[in-house]
This record gives sequence, structure tokens and C-alpha cells, in this order.
Amino acid sequence: MPHPASQSILSHAQRQASASAAVDGLYLHVPFCSHKCHYCDFYSLVEQPGQDRYRLFLDALVRELELLAGQYDNRPRTLFVGGGTPTLLPPDIWHKLLAALTTQGWLSRVEEFTVEANPETVTDELAQVLASGGVNRVSLGAQSFDLTLLKQLERWHDPRKVEQAMNYFRGVGISNINLDLIFAIPTQTLDQLDADLDAVLALEPTHLSSYNLTYEPNTALTAKLKLGRVNRIEQDLERTMYERVIDRLAAAGFEHYEISNWCKPGKSCAHNLIYWQSQNWLAAGPSACGHIDGYRWKIAPRLGDYLEKSPHPDRLDQEHLTGRAQLGEQLMMRIRLLQGVPLDMLPPDADVQSMIARGWLECTNTHLRLTREGLMFADTVAAALL
Amino acid sequence: MQIRNFCIIAHIDHGKSTLADRLLQRTGAVSDREARAQTLDDMDLERERGITIKASAVTVTYTPPGDTSSSGGEQYMLNFIDTPGHVDFHYEVSRALTACEGAVLVVDAAQGVEAQTVANAYLAIDAGLEIIPVINKIDLPGARPEDVALEVESILGLPADGCIFCSAKTGAGIDELLQAICTRLPGPSSGGQKTQALIFDSEYNDYRGVIVYFRLKGGQLQVGDKIRTMGTGRTYNVTELGKFTPKPTPNKQPMSAGEVGYLVASIKTLDDVHIGDTITRDIDPADAPLPGYKEPQHMVFCDFYPAGDTQYDHLRDAIDRLHLNDASFTYEPTSSDALGFGFRCGFLGMLHIEIIQERLERESNVNIVQTAPTVTYEVALKGDVDEVIQIHNPADLPDPSRIREVREPIVDMEIITPTESIGDLMRLCEGRRGRYKKQTFLSATRQILEYELPLAEIIYDFYDKLKSITRGYGTMDYTFRGFRADKLVKMDILVNGDRVDALSVIVHRDKAEYRGRALLQRLKKEIDRHMFEIPLQCAVGGKVIARETIKAMRKNVTAKCYGGDVSRKRKLLEKQKEGKKRMKRVGTVDIPQEAFMSVLDPGEI
Repeated sequence: MPHPASQSILSHAQRQASASAAVDGLYLHVPFCSHKCHYCDFYSLVEQPGQDRYRLFLDALVRELELLAGQYDNRPRTLFVGGGTPTLLPPDIWHKLLAALTTQGWLSRVEEFTVEANPETVTDELAQVLASGGVNRVSLGAQSFDLTLLKQLERWHDPRKVEQAMNYFRGVGISNINLDLIFAIPTQTLDQLDADLDAVLALEPTHLSSYNLTYEPNTALTAKLKLGRVNRIEQDLERTMYERVIDRLAAAGFEHYEISNWCKPGKSCAHNLIYWQSQNWLAAGPSACGHIDGYRWKIAPRLGDYLEKSPHPDRLDQEHLTGRAQLGEQLMMRIRLLQGVPLDMLPPDADVQSMIARGWLECTNTHLRLTREGLMFADTVAAALL
Repeated sequence: MQIRNFCIIAHIDHGKSTLADRLLQRTGAVSDREARAQTLDDMDLERERGITIKASAVTVTYTPPGDTSSSGGEQYMLNFIDTPGHVDFHYEVSRALTACEGAVLVVDAAQGVEAQTVANAYLAIDAGLEIIPVINKIDLPGARPEDVALEVESILGLPADGCIFCSAKTGAGIDELLQAICTRLPGPSSGGQKTQALIFDSEYNDYRGVIVYFRLKGGQLQVGDKIRTMGTGRTYNVTELGKFTPKPTPNKQPMSAGEVGYLVASIKTLDDVHIGDTITRDIDPADAPLPGYKEPQHMVFCDFYPAGDTQYDHLRDAIDRLHLNDASFTYEPTSSDALGFGFRCGFLGMLHIEIIQERLERESNVNIVQTAPTVTYEVALKGDVDEVIQIHNPADLPDPSRIREVREPIVDMEIITPTESIGDLMRLCEGRRGRYKKQTFLSATRQILEYELPLAEIIYDFYDKLKSITRGYGTMDYTFRGFRADKLVKMDILVNGDRVDALSVIVHRDKAEYRGRALLQRLKKEIDRHMFEIPLQCAVGGKVIARETIKAMRKNVTAKCYGGDVSRKRKLLEKQKEGKKRMKRVGTVDIPQEAFMSVLDPGEI
């Protein structure tokens, strides 16, 4: 149920509490792309060259951050800039944003500062600006190294640019690099997946997010699926591909720590762990979502409104979960981690025995976690834990 | 004051309701401000679907302008009755007709005469009504009013120069139409001295009970009269009497022969009022009732079962309540091995089923699984005496050893189509076991095609196929002809080894394999994967004639779940958890509503 902007569902006491709550992370959303990939359902706009609103957006974002810094704890451990395509913003805009983040105090305790990057948009100059502004981790959307598969996704970049972008970042000292890889793309074969995994491993990233392609509602790809212009690959093959990814990354020395995420030892993504562990994070920029102690909200995904109402953007989809409902949500997120759910978090009414009997869950001394087979049915498990 | 009783009849979408609105507006019955679209359709569903389901009667007064014409200056009471245009609602049209002396026949100036134009016009001609043909929508770019007027003349025998050209949208020709209604339609005859009122419709109101729509054919009626319904012999006291103008407006004065109105008389349920019955006064009753209507014949049946968290009792209450408001369908308790307790309901046609199901779900918030509609079959049993039973459910078909023959309902189908589609339409009809009757030219570009077709072959998608073959230009209408024996057998469906009686279907023996394979293909698409493999089989007389397999689910995991996905993901899982609403669990398999409908799909014919 969306709530009007000014009318928060929080009581005064709750507002006080959330204002004083410790903030673990900050997420900034940059709503621009040079082209809309057909599988993507994140909020982004393709601006006309020369008529872009990058500067207007920067000003509004900086004002929103300034306001947030006054209202909340502004010393998060992690910072993540996603999109959209954050690296579409030119270096001078980035320079101003990073300067503002410093001035407002957001970076004072930051340990991990990640920026999402599209390989096509990374330049040596931009890499330098990011590094000198405190960015110490990047996430590159590689998705695939096969031109026919990139075409299926309508993802427009030259796969050779991935290595080039990594070189720019490594050149300025940013060596903690994630690559995104998508599998189960229409027409994809197991051999093509192996080739993509070969290519990814050869680049030696520290972190990998590897996703089974998801047909999100309201995307071009899903529309094409409904029209029969693309065919979803067989479920059996999807599973085989997922298992192939798990096995090959394990063999390459990666730790599988979340359903779709792998890392070299010690290189898990601290920011994303905040989501899976239901910790507190603030959000700025259109469509960004925040969470403080059970209270969730989403900044309205409309750039025009965002600029107009700056620095008080509409907050949509506000909800405040408490008690068993809040715990259920925490379990749903936490079970995605391979480490599992701490046993002392489990409520007495949780029916886990049947899923243990089924071989989907197992107990360690401290945690309840998904088995290898359970990974394949993680949604069924999560629904039972809600 | 002179009285004119008339109805408006048309093919669906030819602008009947809009014309009715325009007439109300022009006669001042509704102000321009009140004139929202389709005033006469008061159910939300009607407005959403743009069709008229229930006939409404409205009274307005009108004074034709000018003093040189024969009618100049005199006031007229116009009673007009809006009628449904869909083929399923023929019976409501015929009710409305007997309350009138005249009919306004609306024909779309671009589309021309269509199948239901013909059917409705013949109903009106048979009822002895004077007809004013109106060529509507003359403002449309593709309008060809002169050609359409010639069609009206050649097909219906109504003179082309008597057609009135109008646009209900712009208001052009509306005055001329009102004038024609006053001058060309006859007034009611005065009738006898004794009170005779024809019940032509009724509706149920939560506060006032049953509201009876009547047409006084003779005598008078007023508040306080003790009335008797001649068919049932029951008596009631009239507590309110009046007209719809279009708001209900009580009459203090007595109403006289020729008038149309409504009355309220503490009648508890719609079942107490029989459409076509005659109301008379308890003291000094009429000698005989008026000739009545035929009861509507329910030819299509399907079962409603409670689904999701809806309980049987809840569904029963919902159906009872809807039936109070709408007696057009029948229902009786039934049970199925697979689906438990539910109701077997009789309908006028497919659209009728859809409307009733939607009203149930909307007005009572129940979840329903609807089984595939079936027609009524006659089964002649073996034995010394000629025993014939009617079945409304394939599962009720007796053992083949007891059956002499199975007969199915046959309809006379009339299709109006552009000439270039004739070949494809004939292939469609032949594929549906049709028997060719004849072909008549309407004009150089359009023809009437007539076939005898089994009703079972047209209830599902025949109309959609006709529309797609003719690119939307073809129209159809049909009337029940009688029952005819054929090689009909019951085809059973086994899901995971269990026969699901609600999926059984009666098919022609020669088409059983083909239908069976198509049906299993559909079922395979509709039933989600489970944790185990599900065999699907089709059997006739214990012999399996087709099989398919739904593979076991191999994975169920969302790849991406980050900070912005939490709420959506939680809601999605909650929905999955609470059980998909329109699912029925049979054995260990969850079968969705769509699967029960898929048995009707005849495949690519």
C-alpha cells in the first residue's frame, strides 16, 4: 500500500528510534543508461545527448544526502552506488559527488565503497577519479562473453572491454573487482556456459555474481517470451547450468557464500551482506530502497518528481514489519546465505523437520543451512520459513 | 396522453445503449449533467463489458415540436425497453417484445446488417411489432448509410426509405426518430375491462423484495390493490406502483391499460414470480391469463466448486443470494470424487456462465473452480421399455453396456460473412461435424451461410474462430433444433493414475484420439511441475488412447535478491504459501482452473 510522501507511517517514537539507529550501509541509485538492456527491470532512463539531466540529478542527490546526514547516522560501513549505469556520469560530476560525500561525513568510517560499472563506459580518467574519491571495489556487468548471447539479452557492449576496464581499475589500485555473469540465456548451451566461465576465470576477479536469467515483469525480454519470440531454456538444463557454475567455481577456489554469489577468501561483499542479514541501510536517488529496523521504503522511481521535490522525494511502499512477520522476512533473506540461519534465530513454530527429512536443510552446531539439493529449492524453503 | 411502447433491438455493439441514453437526454429524463454513458445499464459489469445484460424499462414524456404535423403539440408517454444484444440473452429479448407495439431496430452504418440484427428483427416481426429501422453511427468515417438501408430492405423486407439515419453520438437524427416513434408506431389497444398485466421482467432489491416489471394489457392497477398471479394463484398487496423515469417514481394515480411500470408487493423471492405470468385483481379477476412466454431453455451446464479458502457453505450462500437477484440460471447440489461438493448450474450460453461466475466472485468474494461447460445429452437406455434420461455431466453417462444411443443437441446456425471467408468458414463447420444447409447472397460481398451444428462443438471457441477467420466481420446466431444420435463416447482423464471425473468429456468416437492428444498437451501446459513426475492419460472405455508426462520440478530458486527486492519477494512467497486461489488438489496434484477449461479445446480445427 503506497503512502503519500509527507505522511510517514512511522509514529513519532519510531521516527526518533530510526533516526538514532546505527546505519550500516548507504545505497545510491543513478537512474541513467545509454541503452536499456532487455532483461533489466531496474529504474533507468536513456537521456538525449546534450539534453541530459546528469547535473540536475547530481544537485538533487547531493541535497538529499545532506538532509539524510542531518537526520540519520551518517557513518555507514559500506557504500554502494548502483543503477542504471553510474559510470555513465562524466568524471567531473563524479568528482563533485565524491567531494560532497566526503564533506558530509559519509565516508568517515566506510570500509567498502563499491561502484557498479558498465565495461563500455570505463575510462582511465574515470577510474582515477573514483579511486582518489575513496572507491575501493567495483562491480562490472560482464553478463556473457558470447556475442550471440549478449545479443539475446540486448546487452550492448564489446566483451573485450571487460578486461580493458579491469586493467584501468587495477592500474589505479582498485583490485577488488566483481564480475556479473548471467546463465540460462535463451539458446545458450552448456558448452557456451563453459566458455563464459573460462573467460571469467581467466580475468581473475575477486568476486563473482552469477545469475540464472530471471524473466522480470515489465521487461522487454518477458514481453518477447509471452509473444513466443524467445524461448526459455528447459528447467532441467537450467539446473544443470547452475550446478556447473557451482562446481567449476568451487574448483577454481571460490567460496560459494550466497545463492548467486561467490568470492575469493575474505572478499565477500560487505554491502550486500547487510541486505541478507536485514541490517540497516539508507537510500538516496529515485527507486532506491532503504531499511531501518523493520521499516522499509522506496524513493519514488520518477526522475522528474525527484528533481522537482528535491530534497524531499516521495517515499513509496512504506511498511513497518514487527514481530513474527519481521522475523519471517529476516529468515527468508538469511537462508540465502550458505552459512545459514543462526539456530537461536529460529522461532519455535518453524517447521524445518520436513525439509531436513527431504534433504534440503541441515544443521551445524550453530546454524541451519541449505544443502546442495536445498539450494535448488531455496524459494520453497524460504516460503516455509516466512 | 398518447402512449407508445417500444423496444430497442440491435446486434451487439451497434450502439443501442448509447441511443437509449440519447433519447433520455433529448426528452429531458436525464439532464446533460447526469448523462453518463449507458444510463440504463446499472450493473458495473455491464458498463465494464459494454453490454446490456438485464432489460430495463423507462418512461419519458415527449412533445413533438411544430404544429403543422398531425402530432404537433400533443404529449406522448414513451415507454421504452432496452434489450440485450448477445445471442445468450435471446429469451430476455423475446420477453421485452411482447410488452411492446413497436421496435426500433438499430443497425450500424459501417457494419451493416449482422446475424443478430436478423434474428432480433425476425423475433419482432413474429411478435407482430411495427419496426422503425435506424441506421446509427452515420458520423463514422466508414459509414455507408444508403447501402445499409438497402441491406435492411433486401434482407428484412423493411423499406429502405423508411430508415432513419442518425448518430447517437452526435445527436443527429434523434428528433426525427422521436417523431417517427410518435407517428409511425401504433398506440396500445385499450384491452378489456378486467385487469390483465403481463410480467415481463423482475429484479430483486435487498430492501423492497422483488420488483415486478409489468405491462398493463387491460383494466387498471393501483396501490392497495390485492393482486393475484394467475399461474401460481398467489395473492399479494401492492404497496408501491410506479414508473422508471429512469429513477423509480411512484404513481399515486391508478395505472391504465397500455402503460408500463413496476410494482412492489412484499414478494420475497424471484422464484415466486414467473416471467410471462399474468397479474390480475383478486376481486373481479380476468377470465384467462395472457399468452405467456416460453421458459428459457438451459442448454449449457457446468459445475462450480469452492476453491482456495472458500468453504462449501460460503459458496452456497453466495449462489443463493445471487439467484435471488438473477433467476436466469439454475443450480443444484452436486459432488465429484475429485472436487468434493459443489453445484451443477444451467446457463443460457458461455457469456452467461462468465457473467455469473464473475458476479459471484465479485459480489461475494468467493473463489470458484469451474468445470468445463457441457451440453445436455439424451441417453436412450437398452431394455424393453423406451427409457430416455437426460444428463448434464459427462461423469453421469451410464455404462456403455446399458446404452442404446446417445443424442446431442443440434442447432441451426446462421452466419453472415464476407464472401472471401466462405471457404474457411465451411472448413471450420465441417471440422465441427456440421451439416451444410444453404448459402444465400446478401450483396456482392456478403453472404449468409447456414449449417446444422452440434451445440457441443460451438460452445467453446467457435465464435472466436469465426471472428478470426472473418477478421471480425463475421457474425453468428443460432437456435436450438433438436437432439440427434451420434457415435458419442465418454473420454476419461487420468492424472497421476487417478481418474479425475471433473475432467471427463463426451466426444465423437472418430475424433477421440485427436481431441485426447490436444487435451493432454493443454493440461501439460496448465499444471505446474510438482516435486514428482505426473503421468497424464486419456482413456475411452478403459483403453488408453493418449499419454503425456509432466516432468518433476528440478529447481525453484530466485537468483537475484537484494535490498530493493525484499518486500516484493516476501509477498510473492506469501502468495505461493497460502495456496494458489483457484487450484484444486486431486490426490497429490494441484490442478488450476485453466486446466478444467482446457478439456474443451478442440485443438487446431
